[in-house]
Amino acid sequence: MTHGATALQPFVMDTAFWTATTIFLLAYALIISEKIHKTIIAIFGAGLMLVLKILHQHEAFYIEEFGVDWNVIFLLISMMVIINLMRPTGVFEYLAIKSAKWGKGEPFRIMAIFAVVTAVLSAFMDNVTTVLLITPVTLLIADALEVDPIPYLISCALSSNIGGTATLIGDPPNIMIASKAQLNFMDFIYHLTPVVVVIMVFYIFAIKLIWGKKLKTREELKRRIMAMDEKEAIKDLVMLKKSLFVLAVVLTGFVFHGVLHFQPATIALFGAGLLLLLSKIHEPHHILAEVEWPTIFFFMGLFIIVGGVVKVGLIKWMSIQVLDLTQGNMFATSMVVMWFSAFASAIVDNIPYVATMNPLVIDMARHLWPNLSGIQLLQHPDLMPLWWSLALGACLGGNGSAIGASANVIVVGMSEKAGNKISFIKFMLYGMPIMIMSVVISTAYVWLRYYLMRI
Amino acid sequence: MKAKDLMIHLQEYLRPDNTLKEAVNLLRTAKRGEEKVGVKGLPVLDEKGKLVGMLSMRDILKVVFPFYMTMMDLGDFTWDGMVESIAKKSSNRKVGEVMSKDVITVDEEASLMECVDHMIKHNIKRLPVVDRSGKVIGMLYERDVFFAITKAMLENTGDER
Repeated sequence: MTHGATALQPFVMDTAFWTATTIFLLAYALIISEKIHKTIIAIFGAGLMLVLKILHQHEAFYIEEFGVDWNVIFLLISMMVIINLMRPTGVFEYLAIKSAKWGKGEPFRIMAIFAVVTAVLSAFMDNVTTVLLITPVTLLIADALEVDPIPYLISCALSSNIGGTATLIGDPPNIMIASKAQLNFMDFIYHLTPVVVVIMVFYIFAIKLIWGKKLKTREELKRRIMAMDEKEAIKDLVMLKKSLFVLAVVLTGFVFHGVLHFQPATIALFGAGLLLLLSKIHEPHHILAEVEWPTIFFFMGLFIIVGGVVKVGLIKWMSIQVLDLTQGNMFATSMVVMWFSAFASAIVDNIPYVATMNPLVIDMARHLWPNLSGIQLLQHPDLMPLWWSLALGACLGGNGSAIGASANVIVVGMSEKAGNKISFIKFMLYGMPIMIMSVVISTAYVWLRYYLMRI
Repeated sequence: MKAKDLMIHLQEYLRPDNTLKEAVNLLRTAKRGEEKVGVKGLPVLDEKGKLVGMLSMRDILKVVFPFYMTMMDLGDFTWDGMVESIAKKSSNRKVGEVMSKDVITVDEEASLMECVDHMIKHNIKRLPVVDRSGKVIGMLYERDVFFAITKAMLENTGDER
């Protein structure tokens, strides 16, 4: 009962409580204000939690409940290494050009195909990486067809956030939820992928409605696309084959990691090591330096900051407030979590949000089922819809505004460089209705599947 | 030998609000020294005569090169007429938007070695030469430095090794 004991301890609102709460609130306020880089705030906040002895270093580094979730960290790093090794092969350029040709140079057809390709890639890679790989080709295609690139850019961000929701590795919130709730890759495929497929179908209809008629080009411009030879994109066929082999190994590993009792990070780390070995690079410095260390450190800092407020009992207090609000009705709680998560993620980065919500959900569960622990508690049948609602709300909520997800920030930055800036309002005009549509679909899905049909 | 001995006195320069059309026209017709016509780069001075940037051939090349092509290898997927079309569209952009703003200058009293130092370390082919007050008085070209070096080499009669 070491796990439960700490959480069930009655907490007091003492100096430590207020210190930790202040650090937490200030850190989040600064992250939202974007006055200082979020990673710096996270590292400094974590340092404060330790220096002020809210958390002991041992707790921050080695106790899962209060500190860094290394499962998340190593999964992220390993996937980044694999993608960084794959990138120079030209496979992503190949895929994008191939998609454009598949679209036969028709502006909307290309947009829809790009949306699907982006969603699928995002389901297996970091959304930011996907957007960075797809948007340059998108801009090239828009130039070739002499059409406005903005709809393509916005659609790329929106579909990457939708696609990322589909799998355990698609979006950081899912990675964090999976690690905390000990859910496996197939759980996400079984519970989230179906609704994401439905959302994508609706999304394609929505963009057809919004942009379908506006996008027009001339026959001779379509020929520019059809004249492109995607095979020229492949720069290193040998490495491509090795990468695809390792990718297949990793994906198979993900499918069976639950059965085989491996954590996802184990699979990913093994894959990264294998591909590094097969790549025969002499000096890994370059590949490792390309890991997005600011993101990794952002995670580590946040885990420690959240660990501090978990320890002093703030999160527990918050969880009791939520249960009071919904009077313990689990459907109501799921809905509150989903919709609140969606709007919160549209404003705050969904990473710190989910880092806070995960322990909150667990505290809620402890409050509801005080006699259970471990997997029986974490995956209590009545709790499962709550995890899925959190994942859906937090991932899909990213579409709500230009700052809701890192992918959106990248796309806005790209549009500015392309000389046609997407304003905050303009993004919201498209993103918010799409977000609301997808959360409405998710609401119907959660209600139908978990409360009506109970499957 | 010093910077001022090798430099060519400032004759032509650009303003930040010149259009690229005006700028390239000047680049093509500017005189460098007595007989040479056409320069690969010109200093950009504001209305007070202060140096604010340099516009070189490379900056012009960058104008037609879409930023997204720096992000991925897309050179194989471009089409005939792409450069010309972007060039035409860009002809009314201002020099101030596309010039290189970090400009290294040398003092007129700078030694030749200091000039070579800048040229090698920062990979630049033309250095604006400024007087005490910071005003640009001339340009020092890699080519003229090269001639000064070759002259010295050819003057070696065999007693220096």
